[in-house]
Amino acid sequence: MSGTAGVRRIRLSIPGVPDFVRLARLAAVDAGSRLGLDYEQIEDLRIGVDELCFAVLPTADAELPPADLELVFTLHPDRLEVEGACAVGSAAAHQSELSRTIVAAVVDEFSLELSEGVHRFRLSKRRDA
Amino acid sequence: MTDPDARRRANERFVEYRRTHDRALRNELIEEHIGLAKGLARRFGGRGEAREDLVQVAMVGLLKAVERFEPERGLAFTTFATPTITGELKRHFRDKAWSVRIPRRTQEHVGEVGRAIQSASQRLGRAPSIAELAVETSLTEEEVIEAMEANQAFTAASIDADPAGEGSPVLRDTLAGLEVGFDDVESRVLVDRLLESLDERDRTIITLRFFGGLTQSEIAEQIGVSQMHVSRLLARSLAKLRAELVAEAG
Repeated sequence: MSGTAGVRRIRLSIPGVPDFVRLARLAAVDAGSRLGLDYEQIEDLRIGVDELCFAVLPTADAELPPADLELVFTLHPDRLEVEGACAVGSAAAHQSELSRTIVAAVVDEFSLELSEGVHRFRLSKRRDA
Repeated sequence: MTDPDARRRANERFVEYRRTHDRALRNELIEEHIGLAKGLARRFGGRGEAREDLVQVAMVGLLKAVERFEPERGLAFTTFATPTITGELKRHFRDKAWSVRIPRRTQEHVGEVGRAIQSASQRLGRAPSIAELAVETSLTEEEVIEAMEANQAFTAASIDADPAGEGSPVLRDTLAGLEVGFDDVESRVLVDRLLESLDERDRTIITLRFFGGLTQSEIAEQIGVSQMHVSRLLARSLAKLRAELVAEAG
């Protein structure tokens, strides 16, 4: 964990395969708890992280060996930001409007960039005032 | 029911149900024997499962017993229904599988956290924090977090059926006001197709949570299961939707 002036940063690098997304969820729950989110908000955060992690992973039939999924959890005094990036080569993305709707329902802000080469996401979850 | 007349009258109603398959009569027969289902569910308590989840399983057993009971064989309904309901409860525990290996202690923590969520929510009038759940359960915060994650790895197939077979009226009213809408037709068609891959209850939960804005606890209350179970069902549905999406893309 690192950071300055009330901001704490957690960096996590996991293999870019579905089995390891559990570690991203665990880190999200821990970070959400440190921010002071309640149980329901943490459940939502976990769903958002889970959904976006899967969105940036290469599809199972991708020819290249899976790259690592690099995650950064940034704890601000009033919100948590999670960024994820995975080098996917030419692997296709699997994202749907339904998935976007699900994420939009559980986090305050998010973006997803599925350009060729690297897939990235960012989400923000605020603590209620 | 020891009074021969009362037993004869009860059997006549089962005979009528076998002849007519009248839903209202079936629901009456189920209502009249809910006490039996709840009592048997209680016997299976204390094994880490929420009471209302066990009652749901027992209700599935009761429904099966009502459907299968043949009064002409001369047995009392309760004599016939007891092993059917008990069998359903036993099957529930046998079918209960963990998709990854979870230590027994953590399995127990899942049940404790589930109960604590319910009691702390009622007492506080809001969703508890992890720290509050840790105090409530006498577990560490880390153990609570582990239990939350372990809950996702839990599957309990036998709670899937809706004992009433038609969802609750409250749910139907809530769903009627929701529109799962997308601007472009292609997205809407795909979303509809994805949602159709789920069974009715799972689709309902997804719709209420992500389109209706209900919290997991509110959904749990409406469908009569624990919040932890709603969490499991949501996780399973999202995984299934993802698999469907990949299949669509392939």
